[in-house]
Amino acid sequence: MQPDGRSREWMCSGHVGCAGCGAAVAMRFFLKAMGEKTILVVPACCWSVIAGPYPQSALKVPVIHAAFETGGATASGVRAALDMRGDTETTVVTWAGDGGTFDIGFQALSGAVERNENFIYVCYDNEAYMNTGIQRSSSTPYGAWTTTTPGRDWKKMRKKNIVEALVAHRIPYAATASIAYPEDLIRKAEKARSMKGSRFLHIFASCPTGWRIPSEMSVKIARMAVQTNIFPLYEVEDGVRYTINYRPKEYLVREYFRLQGRFRHLKEEDLDQIQGMVDEDWRLLLRKAGGGA
Amino acid sequence: MTAEMIPRALIMPRTHETTESNKTGSWRFLRPRYENKTSPCSAACPAGEDIAMIEMLAGRGLFKEAWETILLENPLPGTCGRVCFHPCEGVCNRKDFDASVAVHDVERFLADVAARNDLKPVLEKLPRRPHRVAVVGSGPAGLSAAWFLGLLGYGCDVYEALPEAGGVLRWGIPEYRLPSPVLNVEIARIESGGARILRGRPVTMESLDGLRKDYSAVFLGCGLSRGAPLRISGEVPDAVTDGLVFLRNVRGGQPPPCDGLSAVIGGGNTAVDIARTVVRLGGKAAILYRRRREDMPAFQDEVSMALEEGVELHQLLAPEAIRPLGRRYGLVLKRMRVEGRDRDGRGRVVPTGETTEMEVERVFTATGAEAAQPWHRPPSGRGSGISLSHCVIVSEDGANPLVYGGDPVNETKNVTQAIASGKQAAMALDTFFQEGMEAVEARLAECRVGNGPALSMEIYMGGPRRLRSSHVVQPGEINTDYFRFGARMTQPRLLVEERIDSFDEIDLRVSAGTSIREAERCFNCGLCNQCDNCYVFCPDVAVRRGRDMNDRRIDYDYCKGCGLCAAECPRNAVTLEKEDAP
Amino acid sequence: MMRVLEGSHAVAEAVRLARVQVVSAYPITPQTHIVEILSDYCAAGGMDARFLRVESEHSCLAALIGAQSAGARTFTATSSQGLALMHELLHWSAGARLPIVMAEVNRALGPGWNIWSDQTDSLAQRDTGWIQLYCEDGQEVLDTTLQAFRLAERVNLPVMVVLDAFYLSHTHEPVDVPGQEAVDRFLPPYSPKFRLDTKEPFALSPLVPPSAYMEMRRDIARAMEEARACFRDVEAEFDAVFGRRYGPVEAVRCEDAEIILVASGTVTSTARLLLEELRSKGEKAGLLKIRMFRPFPAEDVRRALWRAKKAAVIDRNVSFGAGGIFAQEIRAALCNMPDRPQVFGFIAGLGGRDVTTAVLEDIYLQTKNGDVPPGESVWVGLQEVSHATGRA
Repeated sequence: MQPDGRSREWMCSGHVGCAGCGAAVAMRFFLKAMGEKTILVVPACCWSVIAGPYPQSALKVPVIHAAFETGGATASGVRAALDMRGDTETTVVTWAGDGGTFDIGFQALSGAVERNENFIYVCYDNEAYMNTGIQRSSSTPYGAWTTTTPGRDWKKMRKKNIVEALVAHRIPYAATASIAYPEDLIRKAEKARSMKGSRFLHIFASCPTGWRIPSEMSVKIARMAVQTNIFPLYEVEDGVRYTINYRPKEYLVREYFRLQGRFRHLKEEDLDQIQGMVDEDWRLLLRKAGGGA
Repeated sequence: MTAEMIPRALIMPRTHETTESNKTGSWRFLRPRYENKTSPCSAACPAGEDIAMIEMLAGRGLFKEAWETILLENPLPGTCGRVCFHPCEGVCNRKDFDASVAVHDVERFLADVAARNDLKPVLEKLPRRPHRVAVVGSGPAGLSAAWFLGLLGYGCDVYEALPEAGGVLRWGIPEYRLPSPVLNVEIARIESGGARILRGRPVTMESLDGLRKDYSAVFLGCGLSRGAPLRISGEVPDAVTDGLVFLRNVRGGQPPPCDGLSAVIGGGNTAVDIARTVVRLGGKAAILYRRRREDMPAFQDEVSMALEEGVELHQLLAPEAIRPLGRRYGLVLKRMRVEGRDRDGRGRVVPTGETTEMEVERVFTATGAEAAQPWHRPPSGRGSGISLSHCVIVSEDGANPLVYGGDPVNETKNVTQAIASGKQAAMALDTFFQEGMEAVEARLAECRVGNGPALSMEIYMGGPRRLRSSHVVQPGEINTDYFRFGARMTQPRLLVEERIDSFDEIDLRVSAGTSIREAERCFNCGLCNQCDNCYVFCPDVAVRRGRDMNDRRIDYDYCKGCGLCAAECPRNAVTLEKEDAP
Repeated sequence: MMRVLEGSHAVAEAVRLARVQVVSAYPITPQTHIVEILSDYCAAGGMDARFLRVESEHSCLAALIGAQSAGARTFTATSSQGLALMHELLHWSAGARLPIVMAEVNRALGPGWNIWSDQTDSLAQRDTGWIQLYCEDGQEVLDTTLQAFRLAERVNLPVMVVLDAFYLSHTHEPVDVPGQEAVDRFLPPYSPKFRLDTKEPFALSPLVPPSAYMEMRRDIARAMEEARACFRDVEAEFDAVFGRRYGPVEAVRCEDAEIILVASGTVTSTARLLLEELRSKGEKAGLLKIRMFRPFPAEDVRRALWRAKKAAVIDRNVSFGAGGIFAQEIRAALCNMPDRPQVFGFIAGLGGRDVTTAVLEDIYLQTKNGDVPPGESVWVGLQEVSHATGRA
């Protein structure tokens, strides 16, 4: 990592994110790519809290906190106002969690990107409603325990493939990124910043608290998600040009699941089934990317 | 008055300060701190070389600095890069990841770069001391003692019986493994470090007493220069030659005739050296070894090359008798078989009862070495003095100390152990001179690399290495996610056809690029190499960096103790500990 | 310039003249004419504004929250279900102190689907922190919309300009559309008290702990209080430029009235007709038009009603379990007065049912003839319903 060009910090110490918070790491990386000329729209999510209670802000860029389901819309308005003021330099970014993106904010997001609003939408994904106490979202992966999928009622639906949903809107840029791959994340953020129209970044941001992992594992787990093909790193331009950025070592998903308390209840046959799903998704992605398996 | 005329600030949800007034460090119950640790290679190196650091510097192209780092612990990098057993590579944490780092190749490269460019090391030396020390023998132990005593401020006179310095390095190792120019450069550097080598000045038991009076101390590093006899019937000088004498004669420019088939008895490097030398002199050689190939103490690589060069290897054969067969000799051999295991893990061999006979031109022995003179060994029984791992210090009442070092003392006998002996002796003498004999053991214990027995001169002299934890980094403590598989470098060599025709060095020069790439493969176990992962991944922006690239500290006002810095440190240079109870 | 315009068109003209920079809307009958005209203006260059054609009313208001926070003058229009969908963000925009202006076309809420006039949609949002102004005719719609920007931006609260579905939104009337220069004199370019600015970064609407929340809410309440006085100033300024003013309430012949009809929106015009008729018959009747509902002009209401014996409040709305909403507010405004008039509440015209002079006369007579108000509100103009079949 050659940090000198990016040594400026846009996030302050003293924020109230949990120890080892992947979302905090994600924000730090992202803002290093974005720099000063950035306005953040933050709908309800962990970052509503991490960013600091009044009178504090943990960020050195302007932030407008917004209602849960309004990430896409609020940003559209901010952008429109900046355009009317002649400010084309500032990038408007929605910074939303998975709940605000996959679930309650999906309509506003879909609307905004259908209009090809000129903004970057970042979903930092911790795979459940963490801020409210680990309730399942449509981003929660198959097999996961949450406080609303407890006991034997663990989630038996697949995680929504949000990137493909966005790609279906034929937006100029959609990409996945991970806190475990800072260079890749920052490169994608910089690339997104250099483009116009609706750009979507899906950042995998582990949650030690909600995933029942030790705090020091959050980056390791994020890395394993990539290495196992559970969360492939790829980007799609104009809804058609796929590039896979990382050819994984194809570790078994088993290894990833075993390290996390939220999957402790899964049996061998469940893990086999999940491996099958991951393999299937990966093959599908390879087909789209035009690469052989 | 209208409402508009009363300007009033809005009391609204708009922030006006940062979160920095929240001292979130109070949440912490684990505390990370920067702590460099000990790499397994450096702990395994008898000379205690700071290998992880050497590779880090070499990997950055800082060849001189890397070379100087070696010289602080080992005065003979050109030699050790060629002939050391490199136990470092055997314990390399990278071994099970892909392949161990070719530490010895990088060491050889660094020494050669320094020699080619006539580099002069800039090393910290302690102020000059009034004491002078006599060193007997200019083999690796004596050279090492002289070099380190020089670093510690002492003048030395090295007494060498033969007309050239180097001992076993010069006379016992063939030119194709250790060319004389390499050795000459190393010896010249040691001399320019302050040691005076007195060539052709043998020391006898009688003259030793004089040295003890003339010098504040005497270091005896006479080595083991006489081959051990086979002790079988028919072992007469015409038939049997001490292999060490043979090698010495070849190095001295007086190669004996080697036509026909020569039998070499033994399984160590000396046996292989003799056989390969015979081949180069136009003869045929068969190595006869009582165990199996995999049990041979010789480098396997050397054995392979010997076989390529036409040397025969006959396993599980022990000599029983020699009888004349005309101008030749019949070598009667007991057939052996493996039965169980010895304590060192090698197969234990017992005679099968069968014998065989081999008709040979001559027999070379290479089954071990002995001291040329009994007084080269430390006196048995407890005298006044102390016995350390690599040297024995004898100091009768009032007499200046006499230090026995090198192979006669060392349990394991090789070049690097001899260097360790000289280093230990130098440290012990310095401590003795400054603080007295009783302080020696404790002072040396402080300088152990990891858990010892290797000692570090840098630590002894108070260098930054003293701050390192003695914890030896284990493979599981390396975050291998940060390393890509990379093939170990291949040492380019002469073709077999070129090898058997001459005594030219077999290993060819390696490019700087290859060496850098190899050095970069090093995990740098336990050493911060400023990769900045701790800074990069800190979710709390609690790792502060100064202008200096090494200036990195944790701001405990904000560090929540998540441990990411420790977990994401690829090389275990961050330690995570329980926070002391408030 | 006098033109014959629909009420919707009058709104659009005012928005154009107000130099709104960002318009956002989602179509809902009967608001559509407003946004169609504005779309056209934005597209054709009649307005230098961005029109955000969002995918819901919720996103519409969210977008305006973003735009207004970033320093733009903004406008939207909606109705009924759309307003209900905006509910969360009505609170948000007021809490964020954003002077957004909205035209709200009063329409009944479903089910059953009903697109016709009814005030329950806007009145149900009375606690959201929006200033609410109810209009009687096309001219007032245009004028009130212009005033709304001025008022909103002074007190940093959003303003809802409310007009009846069809009776006003789709009814053509002569309207004096002022020139841009005159409007510019009345309404200067938007100069926000705060806006998102990368040079001076702060966070808007963050988490607010109990230690700070109440003061912020108190500040909204104070801004509402100040809006009463401020509205007078705005009307005076408007009057100075355009020669018209309306007041937060309008009292018609209330000085000597014994019974005062209280009305809002287009019903007021019908009540004016009845008032003439009653006065011509010698009845001591009066009419109080409520134009400003939030902040509630309690003092103006008391000043208009205190001499009367009875007030008959006509509510084209209902708060189930509490009756007409205007009636409740008027009762509350009067309750601490000694010798206060009796307040008779009537619910009429829900879901677009016509409130004719006959209905109003019925209300007047019931009030005149009643000894005490019969409970919460009396429903007037109902048809016979078979209780057995549930069919009218």
